Amino acid sequence: MKRYLIRRLLLAVPTLFLVSVLVFALMRFMPGDVATRMVEGHAYAPTLAALRHDLGLDRPVHVQYLDWIGGIVLRGDFGTSYWTRQPILNEFARRFPVTLELALLTILVSVVLGVLIGILSAARQDSAADYLGRVLAILALSVPYFGLAVLVVVLPSIYFKWTPVWTYVPFTVDPVENLKIMLVPAAVFGVTRAGPVMRIMRSALLDVLRQDYIRTAWSKGLAERPIILRHALKNAMIPVISLVGLQIPLYIGGSVIVESIFRLPGVGLFFFEALTRLDYPVVQSVNLIIAAMVVALNLIIDLSYAFLDPRIRY
Amino acid sequence: MRSRWARAFGIRWLALARFAPEAGGAAAGALSLPAQGEARSRPWWLDVWVRMLVSKPLGAVGGVIVLVMLAAAVAADWIAPYGFAQTSLRERFITMSTSHWLGTDELGRDLLTRLIYGARISLYVGFGAIAIGSALATAIGVVSGYLGGRFDLLVQRGVDAWMAFPPLLLLLSIMSLLGPSVWNITIVLGVAFGIQNSRVVRGVALLVKEHTFVESARALGAGHLRTTLRHILPNVVPTIIVVATTGLSTVILTEASLSFLGLGVPPPYPTWGGMLSLAGLDHMYRAPWLAIWPATALSLAVFGFNMLGDALRDLLDPRLKGG
Repeated sequence: MKRYLIRRLLLAVPTLFLVSVLVFALMRFMPGDVATRMVEGHAYAPTLAALRHDLGLDRPVHVQYLDWIGGIVLRGDFGTSYWTRQPILNEFARRFPVTLELALLTILVSVVLGVLIGILSAARQDSAADYLGRVLAILALSVPYFGLAVLVVVLPSIYFKWTPVWTYVPFTVDPVENLKIMLVPAAVFGVTRAGPVMRIMRSALLDVLRQDYIRTAWSKGLAERPIILRHALKNAMIPVISLVGLQIPLYIGGSVIVESIFRLPGVGLFFFEALTRLDYPVVQSVNLIIAAMVVALNLIIDLSYAFLDPRIRY
Repeated sequence: MRSRWARAFGIRWLALARFAPEAGGAAAGALSLPAQGEARSRPWWLDVWVRMLVSKPLGAVGGVIVLVMLAAAVAADWIAPYGFAQTSLRERFITMSTSHWLGTDELGRDLLTRLIYGARISLYVGFGAIAIGSALATAIGVVSGYLGGRFDLLVQRGVDAWMAFPPLLLLLSIMSLLGPSVWNITIVLGVAFGIQNSRVVRGVALLVKEHTFVESARALGAGHLRTTLRHILPNVVPTIIVVATTGLSTVILTEASLSFLGLGVPPPYPTWGGMLSLAGLDHMYRAPWLAIWPATALSLAVFGFNMLGDALRDLLDPRLKGG
């Protein structure tokens, strides 16, 4: 276990190094110049050369890279935004709870819906309920979440005079008000993600229910409920958890769209605004932080298998 | 309900199958060595469609949706009632009417026309990206899997790094720098698709490489190039087809989400994602059909490609089944 952990952590180092090189190269070798835009559109500095010097963009590329990555590794300094001159890490930390809450609520919605319908579907295979569940899952898979989000924002306001709450309130200030704001986006996003969860849940449970130990449980005279909920469900959850884990990058990517539709001040919106202003350091650092989180999460998910299934050892 | 019908159909199909030898074994045949004197009434690529009609009705429905979309895309110039950028300021925000079946938008452009042309752009980008991506995935996957060793290790760490990004963030970063255009988005989506799926192709190439027929080809003096092209590649093709068809819906959806954010296909070209876009949100309060129709079209297309892809996957490559 310990050796496995160390090996995985060591393997993460080259991956993250390549990520940093990739994202840095993307920002530097592609067309589009932030300095021109800042001087011509917004008069940040008298001349281009002065601004370039100010931002350190006149240095050789490898020096810029080492400066950026060195700051992160040695001092935990993720740089400052070109436009606002604010430290990126502070802004990220301030906005991250919004995105995290959105992601957790989304996962909650999709897992609760998907697992419940999946269990019902598997327990009554080939019944009308099973078919209904499967059709719902396919529908959920097909509807793009941003399309659904636009409809949820637009249609109720026309026909029921209801609009989502637009002013964000942090959870720590007023939990009830905060949930009122977050639940609608999370429900929209979660419903469209419940489809795959349901399909995996159903097929995994069907698989487990055909195994010998379940037959033993039946022949012991156990009732259906404890067999499914206590004996089968735990083993059937493994694929579900790995699916949710695999989808986490999707939740983070999707947060860009969901946050911009519902005007939530999260990391997604921060990233998107930085992109439209070609704010290199923000785009680089946010990409790197999130990639590091994804790598860490994958490790946690792999480790969690061992707790769910004692046969798996590392 | 199903079982009775399934049984009836199953028996009828069995009876048919007796007259069409090998029909049932084609899934395995597609994966094993290419035709080694096996008597087969139909080529496998034709057989797949016949079996899909019978055993995967939803896949067939998906196929019909895809065909309709293809027809709309190809015939857009003839069947669309107006031009896609033809504005008419006197006819803004018209609801459904005989002259504009699905209504008009804030510039008086006909919505049905734009949906039809939208199908063309979606498919153009989708097929283009998949073609580029499949070629790239095959090249990376086969070479990396076949050569193995240090080269493989290096390439796979690169793929790891790419996959550590949430896909949308990376694509948004690239597109914002390149600028929105049909070409850019097609290439970017293609490259992303290719790198991601090279893993799958590599996995299959690794398996195929170990077969004795590869060894015997080498022993007979075939070079690396000949071995990969003539012996590895044909056995990887079914997997590539599966990956490509199941990937189409994802690619179309990704293009739509990028266009939604204004970083995909630029105006005036109509795309479903662009029609739904954030920028047009204010108009949608006045004319909800501006949101409803593109969302419906997009859902239908994704549904069609998903069902078709799933069915093809089950029929062509039973190992990837599930989910």
